[in-house]
Parts: sequence; structure tokens; C-alpha cells
Amino acid sequence: MTDYRRIAEALEAVSQTRGKLAKIERLAAALSRVDDTDLVVGARLLAGSAFAEWEETVTSVGWATAARAASAVTGWDLETIGACAGAIGDLGEAIALLLEVPAGPPLSISDVDVFCRRLAGLRKAAEKQEALEGALRRCWPVEAKYFLKTLSGGLRIGADVTTVEEAVAEAFGADREAIARARRDCGDIGETAKAAKEGRLDEIQFRLFHPIGFMLASPIEEASELSGELPLFAVEDKFDGIRAHVHKQGGRVALFSRTLDEVTAQFPDVAASLAAAPGAFLLDGEIVAWSGDRPESFFRLQRRLGRKAPAPEILAEIPAVFIAFDCLFRDGEALFETSWEERRRRLEAIGGGLRVSAASSAASPEELETLFVAARARGNEGLVLKARDSLYQAGKRGRAWRKWKKATATLDVVVTAVEQGHGKRAGMLSDYTFAVREGEALVNIGKAYSGLSDEEIRTMGNHFRKITVARYGPVRAVAPEVVLEVAFDTIQKSNRHKSGYALRFPRIVRLRPDKRPSDANTLQDVRELFEQLSGR
Amino acid sequence: MSDWLSPFLEPRPTGLYAPAFDAFVDPPAACPRAILSHAHADHAASGHGEIWATAETIAFYRRRHPEWPGQARVLALGDRAEERGVALEVFPSGHILGSAQLRFSDASSSLLYTGDFKRRPGRTTLPAQTPRASVLLTEATFGLPVFRFPPRAEVEVRLTAACREAFAAGQTPVVLAYALGKAQEAALVLSEAGIPQVLHGAAWKLLPEYEAAGFRLPLARPYEAGAAASGEALIVPPRCARTPIVQNVKRRRVIYLSGWAVRSAARADFDADVLLPLSDHADFPELLDHVVAVGAERVVAHHGFAEDFARILEGRGHRAQALTGAIERGAEDS
Repeated sequence: MTDYRRIAEALEAVSQTRGKLAKIERLAAALSRVDDTDLVVGARLLAGSAFAEWEETVTSVGWATAARAASAVTGWDLETIGACAGAIGDLGEAIALLLEVPAGPPLSISDVDVFCRRLAGLRKAAEKQEALEGALRRCWPVEAKYFLKTLSGGLRIGADVTTVEEAVAEAFGADREAIARARRDCGDIGETAKAAKEGRLDEIQFRLFHPIGFMLASPIEEASELSGELPLFAVEDKFDGIRAHVHKQGGRVALFSRTLDEVTAQFPDVAASLAAAPGAFLLDGEIVAWSGDRPESFFRLQRRLGRKAPAPEILAEIPAVFIAFDCLFRDGEALFETSWEERRRRLEAIGGGLRVSAASSAASPEELETLFVAARARGNEGLVLKARDSLYQAGKRGRAWRKWKKATATLDVVVTAVEQGHGKRAGMLSDYTFAVREGEALVNIGKAYSGLSDEEIRTMGNHFRKITVARYGPVRAVAPEVVLEVAFDTIQKSNRHKSGYALRFPRIVRLRPDKRPSDANTLQDVRELFEQLSGR
Repeated sequence: MSDWLSPFLEPRPTGLYAPAFDAFVDPPAACPRAILSHAHADHAASGHGEIWATAETIAFYRRRHPEWPGQARVLALGDRAEERGVALEVFPSGHILGSAQLRFSDASSSLLYTGDFKRRPGRTTLPAQTPRASVLLTEATFGLPVFRFPPRAEVEVRLTAACREAFAAGQTPVVLAYALGKAQEAALVLSEAGIPQVLHGAAWKLLPEYEAAGFRLPLARPYEAGAAASGEALIVPPRCARTPIVQNVKRRRVIYLSGWAVRSAARADFDADVLLPLSDHADFPELLDHVVAVGAERVVAHHGFAEDFARILEGRGHRAQALTGAIERGAEDS
């Protein structure tokens, strides 16, 4: 039985280590010290979750629940807990600093597994809080810090599951590629680590109905970026819907979203039509709202979302279809390691009424531009380019796939609140909420995460700390004086923000120190843009 | 709330005014007469007409402002200055060399202004004293319970060990420490361990005042004489973390020496490898201890987490309030 403290201390050491290789070394050392019986969960915890990726399980312990549990365990009132979280920049870390070393038996890896599974199974906040209190009472400070990070879904130590893959390779002398393949196929770094240690990675086979990661495309800004390489790429329309993987065998169909959540129940019409296609397969594609012979905008589809099972009326009003563009598994054979061209051939051969995206090619940037205009005219977002000889790199954003879409417009907005980012941006005030003007007031219209350099974020962070006017948990309201230029894909009506509108995919283009808040765009500007963009 | 401080101090937009002495206490900008608790720049603004302070603080002030034409009056430990029926006494605050707490008193009441302080011993400071007072105006830089610092001796051992590990890995240890106080204490620790130091000019130029107080740094040399060589530790202020003096040291191990080092985020903020919570300020338990030891009937907190600290004190049965809206400063010294 291995103590959880080993895992927590290893994660702390990784967070304090510079450089990927040194981090891998520390993770590998930790892996080799975990008992065989705890290796599956231990490897998962080193990667940031108690669960296998295929389990689609999250503990979803919110900020308030964690703060209340910490209050009960430490005896500090909620206001003080909140102030401490603000001062330290992270609630879990603040709670760890408030805890004393507990008496009692050490927490084992399997104890943590049990706690996480219990928390995931509970629905009521009060029950979650009680379970969390029980766990925190047994945690050493360093354990609490990483336990809470694990529950919140982000370790933020500069290492992710692919770093752990490398550590598994190092610890158990296994082949790096074989490990990546095995993890993709079984959807579990824990199972992969165990198999690697026991020398039976090749026994792991892809199984249908276990979700796997999506291959993602890197953006390009101009057609000319690819000019010389253009003939190497196939060109498809970029659909404005929800990316999904379809697993199908016999009469069973499962749809998984990019977050690896199963969404089959939300799309009974899509699932039913796919059940008619012959054989077993795993397809990659996009669910889009459909009208007559063309796709409709994402906003139409969005009206169907957020419901576990949509009512028949809405299914009739907004029909959806699955447009397949890749085939990753076919009748017992995994195709991840075959070329796009071969996978495309297999996809086209399925038949049975399956809707398949059209693929073409462009010999020059001018031809690509023509295809782009045509895709937009068909109601799609832009283009995706796929290297014809490329393999399917599950869960990776590579250069084998490129996407080209154009931002429609930019707005000058005023920052009204900031909060800490995640991952690489942990501890930095990198997430900005921003507003447009409405008379003398400001109304929020969106929130964006990136676009500035780390240096700019750091400088701005110091400034935002100085102009903070109030704190609400992790959020700092700031004096409205910083103007940003944000680009976005389009505007939609939304109740989320006070303006009544929301920007889709907003990103910060640049700081506008040359502008004052009074120069920012107005809500009227937004209304006009909305009319313009939705009237296409 | 301001009446809690009367008749000794009045919060004004330009600072804390002491009417009996027609002076401001640690004012953020130049004024005709200032009473200074210590020489950190955020308490000792330049250009005052006249300063009242301890001899060490005056010496630091003159060193930092060599052209300053003003007058200085020494407030010695144990002396009393009296004006208009109010007495002013100074007591060691344990923050940096020469730092003082100020006690104002008349026939009926008294007020203790802590300035910046710590209760644990330092290498270059007199131990903080605990004068009794009916009202306590305390700093609250670390006025939240997350700020609990390990024993100083333990942090000093970790500092030396981090430098030795850096040498063993072929790296230059770069110690980020404030130029007045922290830098010299770090240098003393390293001297004792036989590790030579290269000091940033801002810290180096203050050594005569430390020597006058009896602290010798035989293994220190100024950065101006050349970048750190193998086997030497570089000591620079934290504000230099992202400037060439640090970034040009290709193989480095950056050690951040500050109370703020309890935050992991400090690693990113200062591009640091090692975080060592060594502070010249009281941590949260010390702040509470001081409140209890001074035995004041009323406590006013300012700086840092003043409102939180005042609320926590209220919850513990003290009468406490935060002094807000008055003087907000940057910290030279945390």
C-alpha cells in the first residue's frame, strides 16, 4: 500500500522543477516507488485525476463547497477563507496553508480513490461538503493542496498526461510510441502504466465505446501560409456545429463530445440515423443543425443543447445531422496509424446513407481563397486542411491539420473584472471580463483568456492588482480603465452577460493603451454588428 | 474611527498627522516635518524639510539622499520628546536596523504606532519591544492566517543549502532580497557559511551604516566590480528578477527571500526556483501576539490585509477597526 503523500510530494517537486526533462525524471521516480497494487490509480493521480479518461467522471467540487468544507475543518469563517484564497491566488493552496498536520493513519492512494469516487457520486452540495470535510481532516497540508487541485480538475504544475506518458516510458523502460498508442486505445494512463510495467502494452487493444481524444487543427491566418505545401493537403469545409466521435456496433450507437462526455441522449435523431449504417465503426465528424440541403448556424443547434433529452417538438423544429469526415476504426481494425487518404477511402466505402463531408484540393492560395468563399456561402465557418499522408493523432493539436476561418470584426472593450488563469497561466491574472458602453454605464459582453504574451499578462496583472476595487472569491472587480481590442467569430443574443449579447470565441488582439474607456464601443455598435452578421 | 487615534494622530489625505508635533508620521510625500519609523523608501519619502528618526534611520536617509539639505533630529531609544503636553518615545520594532515603534502619550492615554515590525529576532535588529498602550495602530501586511512563517534559523539553513546545491549543479545562486535589511541579513548568513557574495549597488552602498553598527561582511563585494564568478552568490532586489543583471546569468538558481514566498505564484512572478519565506514583517501569529502583549483597548490596523485582520480581531473579542482610504503604499520591504 502506497501513501498518497508520496504522490503529493512528487507533484510538489514537479511544480518546483524547471524543464520538461527534469519534471519527467521526478514523475518517473515517483512511479517506480508506487506499489503494483496502487499503480493504476497512482499514475492517474500523477496525471491529475483519480479516474480513467474513458470513465467521463468528474468530481465537480465547486469553489463554495471547498471553501465551506475548509471553514468547517479549520475553524476560519468563510470570509477569511475567501480572503486567504485571494491573497494566495488559489483556494486549494490557501486551504493547505491553513491546515495542521493531522493525527491518525496516513492517507493511502486507495483512500484518495475512494474519496474521489464518493465525491463524484454525490449530487447534493451539502453531501459533497461533508464528504470533503472527512477527506480534509485526514490530509497533510501538501496532500490537501494536490487533492483539491485534483478535484478542481487542474494540477497546474507544468506537466500533463503526455508528460506522465514519458515518465512511464522512463520508469519502466517502455517504448514512448507504444505507450501513447496504448493510452489512446484504452483511455487510461493508469492501465497503460501498469501494462508498461508488466511488459504487456501490446495486449491493449482499442475498444469501441471508450471515448478517445480528438485530433485538432492549428489555425492559419492567410491562404499564403501554406502556398508551397498546398498540394499535400485535402481541403474540407469547416462546419459550425459540435465536433463528435461516433462509436457504433450492431444496433448500439454512442456519441462523444470533445470533452469526452457522452452526448447520445441529446441527439436521438442523429444516433438513430447512424444505427442504420452497416458494420462497426468509430467515425470523427460534426453534428450540425440542418435545414433542407444545407447546414444552419451554430446558434440554431445551440437551442437544442443543455437538455439531457430534447422534446419531440424541438427535434422536429431543429433537425440535426452528423457529417462524417474521418474513419478511425472499421470492423475490428483500428485505423489510427493509417494515412488520411486510406481512412478517407474506408469512410467513403461505408455507405448506408452516411453523410460524408466533401473533400477537394487547392493548387494555389487563390484556389484556396475560392474554396473559402464557397464554404462561407454554404453557411460553414471556413476550411480545414488535412495532410493526405498524416496519421490520426488523437488528443493532439498538430500541423497535419490546419483550420482557416476569418474573424468577422473587432470591438474595443473595457476590462471590468479579472481572475487567475489555469495551466501555464496559473497564478497569473489572465482571464478578463470586459464590457461595452451603454450611456454612462458599462455592460459586460464577454470574457477572454488569451492573446497577450506572458510578459504583458504579468505587467497587466500588477496593474490590475493595484486597481482592484472588490473581490468575489477568485474574481477581482477592477476600476474600468483598461481598453482591449477583442476579435470574435460572431455575436449572439445571450442572457449570460448584462449586455444581452455574447461574443463567440472572443480573443484579445492587443492592448489599446492609446484608448480611454470613453473611446470603447457602445452597445448600439454591438446591436448593429449583430444585425449585420446575422443577416447573412 | 479617526477619533480612536486622537488626540495623537489624524488621518489626512497627505498622511497621518501628529498635531502636537506639527509633523506627519511616515508620510508618502515630502512635507515640512516628518517623523520616520524606519528608512524603507515607502515610509521615508524624499525631500522632507525636517526628519525626526533614530540615528540609524537618519544615516540611511542621508546615504540615500546625499544632496538632501534638510534638518534631522535624533530620536534615541529611551529619550522622550515633548510638545504641547504630548510625549513621543521610540522603541525597537525588530524590522530592520534602526526601525522604531513610536509611542505618543499624554496624561490620560497613549497610542503605539508599530511602523513595520516583527517579533522574532533578526541578525541586524534589536529585538522588538512591547510597550503598553491604550490604542495600538498596527501594520497588517500579513494579517491573514495563511501567513505563518517557519522559524528563521530553519529558513537560513535552507538558504545556505540552496546555494550549495546551486554550486554543485554548476549554477550561480541568485538571491532576491530587498536592498535595505534583507540583503545584508542574507549576506551575513552566507558569510557565516563561507559563501562569498556579490551585492547589487543598492544594497552595497548601505554597508557603511551596517559596519558602523558592528556588522562586518568580509566576503561581500559590489556587483560593479563584475558579475558573479563561480562559487559566489549574487544578491539583488526582487525588482531585478526580470532585468539583465539576473537574466544574463545563464545558469542560475533563483532564490526568492520574502514573506510572500509562501505563495506558489511567486515562482512565476519572480521567475524563481526556490521560495524561502523569510520576512522582516510579523507573520499572522506574531501580529496576534503583539496585539495581546501591548494590551491595547482598541486596535487600528493598516497596510496589507488591514480589513481582514481587524475583522478577525473583532471575532476574537478585541475592539478593532481598519484604517483605510488613507495612505496606501507600495512595499519595498515585505
